[in-house]
Formats: sequence, structure tokens, C-alpha cells
Amino acid sequence: MNLSGLLALTLLPILCLGAKKPSFVGTFEDYHVKSQSSAPLRLDDASYDDLTAIPRNYSVVVLLTALEARFGCQLCREFQPEWDLLGRSWAKGDRHGDSRTLLGTLDFADGKGTFQKLMLQTAPIFLLFPPTTGQNAKRDGQPIRYDFTAGPQSAEQVVGWISRYLPDGHKPAIQRPLNYVRIITVTTTLLGIVSFLSVAYPYILPVIQNRNLWAGISLITILLFTSGHMFNHIRKVPYVAGNGQGGISYFAGGFSNQFGMETQIVAAMYGTLSFATIALALRVPRMSDPKKQQLAIFIWGGVMFSMYSFLLSVFRIKNGGYPFHLPPF
Amino acid sequence: MVTSGIIYHVLRLLSMPVDIRNICVLLAPGFSGLTAFASYLITSEMTTSPSAGLLAAVFMGITPGYISRSVAGSYDNEAIAIFLLVFTFFLWIKSVKNGSAMWGALTALFYGYMVSAWGGYVFITNLLPLHTFVLICMGRYSPRLYVSYSTWFALGTLASMQVPFVGFLPIRSSDHMSALGKFGLKDEDCGNRLTVPGVFGLLQLVAFVEFIRQQVPNKQFQTLLRGLIFVVFVVSMGVLVLLTVSGVIAPWSGRFYSLWDTGYAKIHIPIIASVSEHQPTAWPAFFFDLNLMIWLFPAGVYMCFQQLKDEHVFVVIYAVLASYFAGVMVRLMLTLTPVVCIAAALALSSILDTYLVAENPIPKEPQSNGQARGDSVKSTTDMIKDSLRSTRNPILGIYSYISKASVVGAVTTYLLLFVLHCTWVTSNAYSSPSVVLASKLPDGSQHIIDDYREAYYWLRQNTADKAKIMSWWDYGYQIGGMADRPTLVDNNTWNNTHIATVGKAMSSREEVSYPILRQHDVDYVLVVFGGLLGYSGDDINKFLWMVRISEGIWPEEINERNYFTARGEYRVDDEATPTMRNSLMYKMSYYNYNALFPAGQAQDRVRGSKLPADGPQLSTLEEAFTSENWIIRIYKVKDLDNVGRDHASAVAFDKGNKKKKTAKRRGARVLRVE
Repeated sequence: MNLSGLLALTLLPILCLGAKKPSFVGTFEDYHVKSQSSAPLRLDDASYDDLTAIPRNYSVVVLLTALEARFGCQLCREFQPEWDLLGRSWAKGDRHGDSRTLLGTLDFADGKGTFQKLMLQTAPIFLLFPPTTGQNAKRDGQPIRYDFTAGPQSAEQVVGWISRYLPDGHKPAIQRPLNYVRIITVTTTLLGIVSFLSVAYPYILPVIQNRNLWAGISLITILLFTSGHMFNHIRKVPYVAGNGQGGISYFAGGFSNQFGMETQIVAAMYGTLSFATIALALRVPRMSDPKKQQLAIFIWGGVMFSMYSFLLSVFRIKNGGYPFHLPPF
Repeated sequence: MVTSGIIYHVLRLLSMPVDIRNICVLLAPGFSGLTAFASYLITSEMTTSPSAGLLAAVFMGITPGYISRSVAGSYDNEAIAIFLLVFTFFLWIKSVKNGSAMWGALTALFYGYMVSAWGGYVFITNLLPLHTFVLICMGRYSPRLYVSYSTWFALGTLASMQVPFVGFLPIRSSDHMSALGKFGLKDEDCGNRLTVPGVFGLLQLVAFVEFIRQQVPNKQFQTLLRGLIFVVFVVSMGVLVLLTVSGVIAPWSGRFYSLWDTGYAKIHIPIIASVSEHQPTAWPAFFFDLNLMIWLFPAGVYMCFQQLKDEHVFVVIYAVLASYFAGVMVRLMLTLTPVVCIAAALALSSILDTYLVAENPIPKEPQSNGQARGDSVKSTTDMIKDSLRSTRNPILGIYSYISKASVVGAVTTYLLLFVLHCTWVTSNAYSSPSVVLASKLPDGSQHIIDDYREAYYWLRQNTADKAKIMSWWDYGYQIGGMADRPTLVDNNTWNNTHIATVGKAMSSREEVSYPILRQHDVDYVLVVFGGLLGYSGDDINKFLWMVRISEGIWPEEINERNYFTARGEYRVDDEATPTMRNSLMYKMSYYNYNALFPAGQAQDRVRGSKLPADGPQLSTLEEAFTSENWIIRIYKVKDLDNVGRDHASAVAFDKGNKKKKTAKRRGARVLRVE
């Protein structure tokens, strides 16, 4: 009892001061009016401090970013259109400021001081400042931080994140503008394709019905997949890597590890071996000249043998304990 | 499993007293034999050469890609599922060839069996309609196709609906993905269910059009066809829109794209992405599992284009699809293996058939030969105009013995090498149990690391019968089977929230975890720690997945970013983040670990990093058991304090007076603020 009374007494003058100060009452309204014309707000050091000053009875979401080309922040530039879209939709959907939330952007060029103060090494970063007074106040008033660990986010995802920390209530929905250019492009392309097909149909038909074409397509697909292309695609492995001595190492060490170029080499080896098999099985028996046939068999047999031996030697690089090998390699 | 139960009862009926355990152990090898037989049958449908089928059976029998599931004792759904897969395909090809409703019905029967056995049935569900669709597109519609597909569709859908888990899903496409969880493997494409009825409808339409074509004169038919196409298009679009709007079906859900968008699972369904078998496949894994067949495979597929009958189209589609799936997920290598065996056998048998003929063809005189050949070439090229480039000329044969001998010799070498490879792979990779680890000592002798069994035996002997164990779900079955204690989650847990709860308990601070542990009546917590031995499959390495899975449910409380250092590294040493160091998993793994080493030299051999000088302190758990090599650590959850203190202060009290005072002072300050 005693304590709480004391607390109230000490707080009273501060509260009175705050009430007298016009900035505290008007900060949100001022910036809200500004945000109606240009959303999200473009902040600098001063306005950032002003907005995030304690006490505040509203929430602030600030995107700290570095848009200038010399910083080379790819993620910042990729995300910026989404953020602008989010800001506009928010301003449009929240004209009366019911959500009591302000959205602002602080570019590194405008707010070096803030970046230094927060000791930020990376960008972009979201900071969400919850209100410190009012019914939805959080006690400590410390900002909640959001890093872009999962790559660029869509505006909807960000709204989901923001509304998780805001009190329940109406949240403006994202309104994506109709992309007329895209609609027109798609329609034109479709019409173009349809007319091209109808004109060229008699010429295309034999190509589509060509068995060799389909055989080629399926073989290439199979070779691509069995040589681990999907692994490259999903894991985004490097194409090649240096071996530390200035050269290039074509084969990654380790059983479940590979380079982009490595898979291409492997696919080429598989392809050669398959082709040698096809030649031996289908082509050679159809040759009419015994001498030529003899030569072809030796060539293809030799190619197959040495290529398989090479394949085994490559596999031994990948799997150290593999005991088998064929002579040449 | 029902299958082994049936076998057991049948054998009992025949008065053969066989233990059910023996049946379970030998089930996989037994079905592997049946699989070999099924692949013989399916390959014999492809070609006239009898050796191809035999080769396919041999390949199927010993290829490491399938041995991994068919060694004695690997008692798993996949053991019988692959047999069912291959046999269903055989029946389907048979029914397409003969156009008989009986074969179609058999296909449906085995399809139903497959649905009840393995989540991979979706592969069949997609492959058969696709085959039908491609055949229609190629203009190969025939009454045979109509009969077999209709029979399979009607009966197969009915059969799959008998499985309670699938239920009415074949009719509606909906999100039963998350329920299928880890087991449904590529069930991400459940949205594709629309294709099955869709192809069925298309087939009906094509049949109808064919019927009209026979009845109506040609000119009117053209007009009729145009009108029909228009009407069908409008009606089907209307129905689709109507159903989508009314919410009966959800054809355009995100699941539809997920198998093609390979990043989908990683972002939205971490529990699926977390399983090591669901990782993408690097090329050495293909070679490891399939050896020389991996390069015979494309050649065999090419040979399918030679004749390109309906069944060859099937093999080609199967080959392309399965190699895509196998590339995306290691586990689906299993569905690729049968088609690789079939195609490789086709290729190899065609070589052997050509080069193992004893008599030589007689080379004809150049002039007469030229003339005669010119004629014959012309006629054959007219006959098979759209055949492959390399098969336009007639087969003559091999002229010399020396070339025959060299090729046959080389092929025999490859085959012997293949057998050696398979034996080596099987003995090295697939025959040792995962519970007992073997390692080699410096002098070459074998050292057995038996920590798992030691720990499970300890649990069985030293804990109460009803004691509940919490561990990550990987060890659920083992604890249930070998320690005979109930677990919170196991390998068959489908409830994602449940797994996430365990993840949250592991990845939160003690103060947060303890209520969770109490709520779930957990008595013991088990973690796997490989730091001492360098055993990389331990819980700290799986920890990020626990974090991700629980973040999916509680995004406010768990945040993956907090477990990485500012520079984005996953570290356990001095620079580890506070969240990481305060997480229950970290504490349990490294509790008392530095006591093993001289001061300040504790080292984690998996992560290869030096640990902080002061080990973590545990207050709500106490160490109960640590196995010989520290692989398994078991902690007992403390009961509530007798005097009503919280655990941290109780531990501080036990440590001595000095700590007690500070604790008291802190406590007082907390009071004042309130």
C-alpha cells in the first residue's frame, strides 16, 4: 500500500508534465496525418527519436534499411516495393488511425546515428515499438526485433508478424494494385501462341510426333535428375570451388556434398556410358561391313570400359573407403 | 501388421509352429523374393527376350537400393510395399494389354492393399492416370484402355476408401497433408487427387466421341465435335468454379504446387523437411544404391522407344517421374529402383542377346549386297517411318568372334563388379543395426559401442513401470520397444502440435519447460549426446529442427534467429547465444561435461569447438543416468519443492550460505517492485 502510494506520488508530476507537453498528445496525430499523404513515413534521426520517445501511446513499426546502391543490400531493395505497398494499404485501410500504429522507414543515409546507436551491422531489420502508456502498454517498452533470416518476405507475411504483437482489432488488408502490364502481356502472349500454333500446326506436328525428339527429352531429363540436379537446386550449391592452392577443385569432398559442375561432369559420364551401350546394342549389329563393325565394337567397348573405370575412380574420391576399381584409372 | 499376422495364422493352420518373431524378421526377405518375381513378370511383358526378365529379377534381388529395406529384420511397411508397387504395375500393364476387366479388378485389389500398407500409394494414384492421359494424347485410345482404367478407377477408389485413414479423401482434395506428416512422404501432391477423376472423365468423353464417330458420317462429325468440345469446356469450367466457390473441393490450394515448388515444405512444414530421408539426393547416393545400372538405365529407356507400345510408354513415364522424385527425396530412391532394374535389364539383355550368338552372319558380296540392302532398307524405312534413328537398318549380327568375346568379357566384368559392389554396400551400410554402433580401434580390432541398449536396459530396470519418458520422436519406438516405457511422442506420432510441444520443452528456458514437463507428467527426459565420441547424429545437431517445428506453433515464444549468433553461426561454445545456452537441450547435453576434462579444456568432438569453462547449471532436473560413452543421458524431473521454493533457489540453498544470501536479496527486490 505504502509503496504503491509512493509510486503514484512520484509518477504524478511526470504525468502532468507529459499531459502539458503538446508533443506527447499530438505525436501520433501529427505523424498519422503525414502518413496519409506519404506512407510509409520517411524518417531521419530526429524524427526517429521523436517517434520512439518514451512515453508513447501508440505502436511504431520501423524498417531499418540501406537502399543506396553502394551498400549492395540486395535484400533491402527486393523488399522495398513490398514495404511501400504495405505502407500504402495500411494508410488507406486505417484512415482514422484506429490501430494506433505508425509505419516508418529509416534509410541508413538518413539515420547513421540511429544505426550506430543500435549497433546494427546488418540491414534490413524491423523494429516494433509497443506503446508504453494506454491500455495496451507493454511494461518495458523495448522494441521487438525481426530479422530477415528467411529471405525476402511478402507484405502479407509482414502484416501477420506485426499483428501478432498488436492488440486485437481491425488490421488493414493488403491491397495489391492490378498489374495491367502483366495482364496485357499474358493475354498478348497467349493469343500469339495460339495463332502461331494454328498457323504452324502442319509443320510442328511431325516434330511433336518425332520419336527421336521425345527419346532425347526423356533421356536428358533422366540424366539431369539422376546426376543430382535437384540437390543443386534445393541446396543452392556453388558451381565450383577453389582448392586453396589457386586451382579449381571439381569434386566436393564428402559423400553427401557436391558442386554444380561436378554433377554436369557426372551427367556427361553417364551419358557417354549410356550412349556406348546404345551403340553396342542397337547400332553395331546393323553395320554391314565386318571391318567397320569390328572397329566400332573396339572403339565403343574401349570408351565404355575406360569411362566406367574413370567413374569408379571419381566415386572413390567421394567415398574414401570404396575398395573396387578397374585398371586404367 | 496384418500381413505378418495372416502369415502366422496360415502357418499355424498348416500346423507349422513358427514364432511370430521369426515371421516378422523374415518377412522382408520373403517379400523381396516376391518382388524379384514381380519384376521378372513385368519385364517379360516389355520384351520378347526371356533373359531380360531374369536379369531384372537378379538386379532387383541384390541392388543396394532395395536391399536397404529387405534385409532380414528390417520390419517395415516398405518391405511389402515395394512388392505391391511392382506387382500392381505388372497387373496394370497386363490389363491394358488385354483390356480385361479381371486384370483391372486385380490391379484395384492390389492397389487397395498398397493403400493400406504405405503412403507411397500416391505414386500409383498419379502414375496410372498419367499413363492413361499420355496414351490418350498420343491418340492411342482403345477400348482396352477404357475397360482397364474404368475398372481400376471404380474399384480402386472404393478399395482405398475402405482404409479408414484415407476415407473420403479420394473424392475431395483437401489438406490431410499435415496429418500424414512424416509418413506421407510426397503426399504434398494430394492436391493432385483431382487428376484421377479428371482423367476418368476425359476417358469417358473420348470413348463417347469414338462411339459417335462410328455412328455419324464424317462431315457432320466434325461439326458435332466442335460443338461438343465447346459445351464440355463451358460446363466443366462452370462446375469447377461453382464447386470451388461453394467450398466442396479446393483444387487450387497451395499443396498443389508443393512438390514442384521444392522450397515449400522447408518453409511451411518443417516436420517433413526435418527427416533425413526427406533430404535431396546427391549423385553419389544414386551410384551407391544402383551402381552400373545407373548408366544402363537411360539406355534401357531409349530402347523402350524402339517399339513404343503402351507398356513402353508406361516405363518411360515411370522412369522420368521416379527419377525426379528420387532426386528430391532420398527416400523415394525406393520407388526408382524397380524401374531402374527393369530398364537396365532391357539394355543389358539386348547386348547379351546380340553378342552371345554362336554363329556368325555371312557377309554378302559387296555389289549384290548393296542392291539388296538398298531395297530392303527402303521398304523397312517406309514401314517404320517414325522409328528411332539408330534402328532404321535391319539387324545383321556380329561378324567376328573376337569382338563378341571382348564385349561379353567386359560385360561379365561389370556384372561381377556389380555383385561385389552390392555385397560390399550391404555389409557396410545396410546390415548393421542402428542401435549398436561399431567402430575400429587404432589396432584394427572392432569396438562395439552399445550405449543405446545400455541406457534402455537401465530404464527398464531402474524406473517405475509407468514412468513417462520424454525424448525427441526419433527414439520413441526404441524406448517403447526396448525399455518398455511410455513416451510422449514416437515415430508414429501424427500430431504436429504434440511434437512441437516436446520441441518447445527442449528449446525453452528451464522456467518455461518445467511447467510443460509437469503438465505432461514427464518423469524422465532422454537426450542423445555425441560430443564425447564424435557421434554426429545427436540431438544438438537435430536441435534446430526442434526449434523450427515449435516455432511453427508458437512463433511468439520460440524464434530460430535467437539460436544463432549475431553473425548467423550455430555455435555451442563461448559465443553461443544466451537463448541457446539457457535452452533445456543445451543444458542437458553439456551438464557436467566439463568435469571430464582438465579445467577449461572441455571439447565437443562433433562440433569441434571448445566449451565454456563453466558448464550449465540445472535446477529443475537431476542427472539420473549417463551411458558409458555419454551418448545417452537421462534426467529425472524433480518433484515440486517440499518447502514451496522454486527450484532455482532450492539449488542455490543447497550449494551453501553465500548463494542463499544473494538469492534472498534478489527476492526482496522483486517484491518491492510488485
